[in-house]
Amino acid sequence: MHGAEVAFEAIGTAWRITTATPLPDATLDRVHATIAAYDRVWSRFRDDSVVRELARTGGTCTLPDHGGALLDLYDVLDERTHGAVTPLVGASLERLGYDAGYHLRASGPALPAPRTPVLRDGATITLAAPALLDVGAAGKGQLVDLVAAELRACGVGEYVVDAGGDLVHRGPDALRVGLQAPGDPTHVLGVVDVRDRALCGSAVDRRAWGDGLHHVVDARTGTPTRDVVATWVVADRAMDADGLATALFFADPDLLQDVVEHTYVRVHADGRARFALDLPGEVFS
Amino acid sequence: MRTTHRRSFVVLATTATLTTLAGCASGAAGGTPATGGDPSAAATPAGGASTPTASAGGTSAGTYRDGTYSATGDYRSPGGEQKVQVKVTLADDVVTAVEVTPEPSDPTSQSYQQRFASGVAEQVVGKRLDEVHVDRVSGSSLTSQGFAAALAQIATDARG
Repeated sequence: MHGAEVAFEAIGTAWRITTATPLPDATLDRVHATIAAYDRVWSRFRDDSVVRELARTGGTCTLPDHGGALLDLYDVLDERTHGAVTPLVGASLERLGYDAGYHLRASGPALPAPRTPVLRDGATITLAAPALLDVGAAGKGQLVDLVAAELRACGVGEYVVDAGGDLVHRGPDALRVGLQAPGDPTHVLGVVDVRDRALCGSAVDRRAWGDGLHHVVDARTGTPTRDVVATWVVADRAMDADGLATALFFADPDLLQDVVEHTYVRVHADGRARFALDLPGEVFS
Repeated sequence: MRTTHRRSFVVLATTATLTTLAGCASGAAGGTPATGGDPSAAATPAGGASTPTASAGGTSAGTYRDGTYSATGDYRSPGGEQKVQVKVTLADDVVTAVEVTPEPSDPTSQSYQQRFASGVAEQVVGKRLDEVHVDRVSGSSLTSQGFAAALAQIATDARG
């Protein structure tokens, strides 16, 4: 798509929204309002967020409707990964230094996620004890979906919404996306054609800070993963693609096949890769 | 060394049980069954009296005869009982090729078997971005300003 583009930084990542014609200010305002509202609920990095409040007090709160869909997906991924993927991983990430102050230094031994019971009725959530939620595994993808939904609601029919490489495309011409080599932004390991679908990736180099510390953390142990170094998933919704890309670090691809229709690429530390045969693209080997 | 071959195979689910490879040598490569009724065709056990395969030389007795073996396996998928035909080519006790042919029993099984089939690259090989036409990349090491600033601070501390 060669049209208009707006770029900005939000929720700690670089956004690019590409459209056939420039977005009206009113539409762009709605996009920013959608992002701000999401951040207000889910950001671990601001004291006035809903998840910070839950971390202080526990108890019950009602999330926006999208919260129910997000936590439904987390429930499935939690089950398929035997507890490696859970929103209760917030304190584990903070322990490793991935915190509001960006300390990026472990402040103690690895901290497994608490087994705090999370009761839920739709988008109403009850924490039996205070716990810090982190929805980094699928939240950014969901926000990409929500921004795309705003565009459609404003009559925008063709777009690419790209939040730091997690993206959703809609339009007649497929978008060819390079799968960036972990640790080497000058090389790609494959290409995928995305049309009317979402692509999300997760790589351990993207947010890595020394001594093997990075943001893909096994909630059962509180330690970063080692074997898998990068994953990509193509699915209808970016939320699903994002969550599955994280889950692929911990679960065999076969165990995730029926979560939603999707294709994937998974690259291991030793250079092996596994990918769906019907991947709309190619892995270079 | 880079191996660049690619092959497809079916990954069996955790509940899978693949029946023992038995019989049905394809004969294409003079194959013999790993276990079979014909003693003359039986695999040579290590240290056995039978002549090891020529290529194994005198240094180590081959455990299996070179050749292509095939068998049918059953496993249970979310779509029900599945059958797959597996062909394995052995040379010098090393599996040199595996070919798996799904034998779906119904359309649902066929759908599952196609979805469960994976491609494997033994070694992915990066191509330079300027050699490949792409509209954009995913997996980027783009970081937020705060993150980049923190890394820079760490680097400064480390030097100090």
